[in-house]
Amino acid sequence: MTENEKKRVGIFSLTCDEGCGIFLTEIFNRKLVEWLEKIELVYFLAIKDHVEIENLDVALVEGVVTSERDKALIEKIRANTKILIAMGTCAITALPSGQRNNFNINQLKEIEGHLEKYKFLPKALSVKEAVKVDDEIMGCPIDREKFINTFEKYI
Amino acid sequence: MHSCNLDVEICKLSKIEGHADLDIKIRDGKLKEVDLKVMENVRFFNQAVVGMQYSAVPQLVSRICGTCSIAHLTACIEAVEKTLDIVPSRQTVTLRKLTTYSMMIRDHALHLYFFVMPDILGIDSLLDVPEDKHDLIHDALAVKEAGNNLSELVAGRAVHAPYEQVGGFSHEIDEEKIPAAVEGLKKIRPTVLKLIDEFSKCDWEFRRKTNFVALTTDDFSFLEGKIKSTSGMEIEEKDYWDHLHKVVLPYSQATSFDFEGHEYMVGSLARMNLNRESLHANTKRDAEKYLAKFPSDNVYDNNLAQAIEILHAIDHTIEILENTRFQKEEAAKPGRLTGSNAGAIEAPRGTLYYALEIEEGKVKSMKLVIPTAQNLVNMKKNVEQIVSGFCALDSTKEELEKNIVREVSKLIRAYDPCMSCASHFLRVRWK
Ligand code: SF4
Repeated sequence: MTENEKKRVGIFSLTCDEGCGIFLTEIFNRKLVEWLEKIELVYFLAIKDHVEIENLDVALVEGVVTSERDKALIEKIRANTKILIAMGTCAITALPSGQRNNFNINQLKEIEGHLEKYKFLPKALSVKEAVKVDDEIMGCPIDREKFINTFEKYI
Repeated sequence: MHSCNLDVEICKLSKIEGHADLDIKIRDGKLKEVDLKVMENVRFFNQAVVGMQYSAVPQLVSRICGTCSIAHLTACIEAVEKTLDIVPSRQTVTLRKLTTYSMMIRDHALHLYFFVMPDILGIDSLLDVPEDKHDLIHDALAVKEAGNNLSELVAGRAVHAPYEQVGGFSHEIDEEKIPAAVEGLKKIRPTVLKLIDEFSKCDWEFRRKTNFVALTTDDFSFLEGKIKSTSGMEIEEKDYWDHLHKVVLPYSQATSFDFEGHEYMVGSLARMNLNRESLHANTKRDAEKYLAKFPSDNVYDNNLAQAIEILHAIDHTIEILENTRFQKEEAAKPGRLTGSNAGAIEAPRGTLYYALEIEEGKVKSMKLVIPTAQNLVNMKKNVEQIVSGFCALDSTKEELEKNIVREVSKLIRAYDPCMSCASHFLRVRWK
């Protein structure tokens, strides 16, 4: 496969612990060399600096959309990728990283100043609630086999 | 010497609970200010745990950090157990050491091979290494995989390990899988020795007098001991908080700390400076000439220290796995359900402290001190020294910018600021 035919893949972290991305680097241990025959990693801040959000074939996204900044980023990703895959329960259900959605009044009172100061959205959204997603991989973190099966459909 | 004005903004510097930016202002050729701004969106764990049943809290706080989730899990479990008089069995303690070692192997390997090595080779990403150095990618993946396999064997998974719980482990080790795990570790041992040698040859240097702080353990197992500092302090784990003062970082979604009124550094270098005598005998034997570099105040020796810690983790794990019979055990039970206490462990990036107040089995409050947060003040002062040094040189404005960005990024990366985004700050935006 020539460089031009390789699928352009980006891996993105919104608000979260990056646990799915880290676990993905463990899945890479056995699969990366084989996948690099078919893909070009154009965005993955964990391992590269020169990154682009442009003309992507597959975007893998972890985390929740908690602030206006997150929202702008996920919209940009959506507009620039053919396939968007939500990775992990945060991206699919907004939990656990969007746990503030379940806070009681006392807990909310404690954090409201912070929410305002840093332009948080009224509620943390899952990636699914924020934009259209084409596929999803459950787990906290993502399940290895499910990831491999889903990802390989698109590359 | 310049008389220029220059603003340098380095975006997405590092992760505390995420991203940080660094802004540097130069006025009339002199450093005016360095702002370390932690920009990550807080996820409010301190609030979320209030009212939760104690046994569920460790698995929740594991979600603070993907890469060192095992450290959060283990430190929180320790704090719960100390608070509720739960005494873990000897086997549980051994399994926790193995779990911690598995994290150190894969986490340090990710940092050294994927974050630092590209700087040494002058490339963007390890994936860009020239053909003749492709072995490096294989080495990196093999070392990480051995750590990952060990996590799976002992704790169920490398990220958010499901078996490690308050009072004990929910699953036994599958003894049939032990020989393969040992073999895997023996196989990567020469690779790790090569990595140590590589980092010992790195001539990067940055020194500034500072204080090093670490939890020191008898067998260098990161879990139980006394907190010591190179300034000569020796304190109990539970008293750590009393020696820290919060330092507010303007514009940031985080706070830092000083220790006894001064900035300090935690992490591998601190551990190597304070506790190297306790390394495994095989590690001391094979890394003798590299260990002669310590104590060291060269921040870049943090990389070498991490590489040596991988070797120690391998050596001690092999010894444990080859000499221990594991058996099924019940979880240890609480002696009471109300109290307050604290626990500290060494996470990959330094001392991690959890303090809890529990009432009738429910958490009333939680305080935690994260390694990277402790290093922020020290990091900022180092950056100031680097920038001032460059300002004093005779160079063009472009050279000045280039030098600052290169050296500052490299230096901060040597601290291994929490998370995969340690390389985020390579992305630079100029004002
Ligand atoms: S789903 Fe779990 S592992 Fe994945 S990003 Fe969210 S908290 Fe982390």
